[in-house]
Amino acid sequence: MNLRRAMAGLHTWGGLLPSWLLFVIFFAGSLACFDKELERWMRPDLPVAAEATAASSLSLDQVRDWLLSKAPDAHALYIHGPAPRQPFWWAGYVPADEGEFQSFALDPVSGAPLQETVGGAFFFSLHYDLNAGTPGLYIVGMAAMFMLVALVSGIIIHRRIFKDFFTLRPGANGQRAWLDAHNLFGVTGLPFHLMIAYTGLAIFVSLYMPAGVQTAYRGDAMAFYGDAMSLFHREETHRPAAPAASLDALLADAQTRWGGAQPGWISVEHPADEAAVVEFRREGRTRVSDYQWTLAYDAASGELLHEQTPYAGGYYVYTWLSGLHMAQFGGHFVRFCYLLLGLAGCAMLVGGLRVWVSKREARGGRGLVLVRALNGAVVGGLPLASLALLYGNRLLPAQLVHRGRAETLVFFGAWALVAAWVVWRRHRLGNDRRMLALGSLLALGLPLLNLLLTPGNSLLASLPRGDWALAAIDLALLVVGLACGLLARRRPAAVPAPRRARRDALGEGA
Amino acid sequence: MLTAFAFAYLAVLALCLAMNRHHKALFTGEPSPLRRQLLRLVALPLMALSLALCIRDADVELGILFWLALLMLATLALVLTLAWRQRWAMPLAGLLLVSSALTHLG
Repeated sequence: MNLRRAMAGLHTWGGLLPSWLLFVIFFAGSLACFDKELERWMRPDLPVAAEATAASSLSLDQVRDWLLSKAPDAHALYIHGPAPRQPFWWAGYVPADEGEFQSFALDPVSGAPLQETVGGAFFFSLHYDLNAGTPGLYIVGMAAMFMLVALVSGIIIHRRIFKDFFTLRPGANGQRAWLDAHNLFGVTGLPFHLMIAYTGLAIFVSLYMPAGVQTAYRGDAMAFYGDAMSLFHREETHRPAAPAASLDALLADAQTRWGGAQPGWISVEHPADEAAVVEFRREGRTRVSDYQWTLAYDAASGELLHEQTPYAGGYYVYTWLSGLHMAQFGGHFVRFCYLLLGLAGCAMLVGGLRVWVSKREARGGRGLVLVRALNGAVVGGLPLASLALLYGNRLLPAQLVHRGRAETLVFFGAWALVAAWVVWRRHRLGNDRRMLALGSLLALGLPLLNLLLTPGNSLLASLPRGDWALAAIDLALLVVGLACGLLARRRPAAVPAPRRARRDALGEGA
Repeated sequence: MLTAFAFAYLAVLALCLAMNRHHKALFTGEPSPLRRQLLRLVALPLMALSLALCIRDADVELGILFWLALLMLATLALVLTLAWRQRWAMPLAGLLLVSSALTHLG
């Protein structure tokens, strides 16, 4: 009994405090399941024919030479050829001073750089580091740890896990209905929630539990991973490189060794040095643990220097756990399952927040206004800002310098606006309804905007040519827009009841 | 995968009907103890069938994961149907089975 009471307090407060952060992580992670599809949507300047003629006219050697013409002394080059979900080239380099990675999306037909966009990767980054680099990683890690605590304490305090397993009573009074929803989405999705929080922590374990690497590798995590993954590394000699062998010929050799598999990322380490090494990673997307079968060649002679051995023991477990989190193993089916289960996680968080609020609305409590404002600012603000990002993607001028940064600014600007509006209206009712209506308008407007500005990518073009990856985004926006519209209509314009109930409750207490 | 989902849905529907409250809601009256036991017993082979189908389609490693995801989603689908469109809960099972049969024929 005492344990339950202790756990109830832990669940209430340990759950409340990180829940807005967790909502951001869950929402962004759910969208990131379809990051490549969003990326394609956000690149309307991609030639449509690219999908049909998957074979690019560019060669690996041309892309490498293009990169070297931009950065002849680059520390490393990274190239990814077109793939079914990503019908364009990625080409990037780490500058000589090992500064920030510079990457470019290249048109598969002309080879020209595509217009800059943050793309679907924006949501992926928001998911794991809040677009804030290493500090963000630690914040997300803390949130995940809190989530595990909330899940376990939630199981302990839930008295009727099996009795209420199938129970959801939307017609019941506020608190009852929200508690049902919180329990339902928490309990039915429990295996997923536990797995996703645990494996999420496991991915960055070397960051969160650094003692082992600190001791054995003097803090050099890269050396640790190099050993664990049996990767090859060759130090620079600071002598100029001999003429390079053809990357396309080396790739052909790698593909015969793999038995015809497709390549993932291809890298050239210190390309201007005599000790330059070319590495080909296999794109394996059929097992949970993604063994890349990396082949390392001498960049000049083309001699095979090293072949990665299959992961063993602890590292295999690590890649299995991280693979389970990243959902790249079962195609669209798994991505879709993860999207739905992730949204169920969002629903659990919203349910929990509403339980907290309605409990205190009934009997009064401190922090109510603050929690309500945060609910509106995060639960309403983030989806609205995400829609705003897609508007920014279409409406910002194509030639804008730092276009990606401008898009990010649109996203955070829109979010700040919504947050400010919610704070300004914190004592008034009907915020939810207005935000739902706005969300509906924004979501329904996007396919229309797509039709007006980039007709080649709109539903009228993508559906007839059976381009489902592109059409699905527009269709999903239409569904979301209609659903939000319906919910906004169903919500009464103003509900004065809770306020009166609260006054009554306070009156009784006095 | 649709067939596996149909059987997962049937299994959770059987488990759900084995409970007084939900049995009363979908049929008339409380179930007899025997009926409850039977419903629970039926759920097991249905779940096993769903798992077997997943493993057949996707091998053991992925099959088990697919099955777990399908079970969670089937439960969610059932409860959301029960909450807003209670009368559709039973016909939905039939619809799922028929449509999965059709995809096998087609």
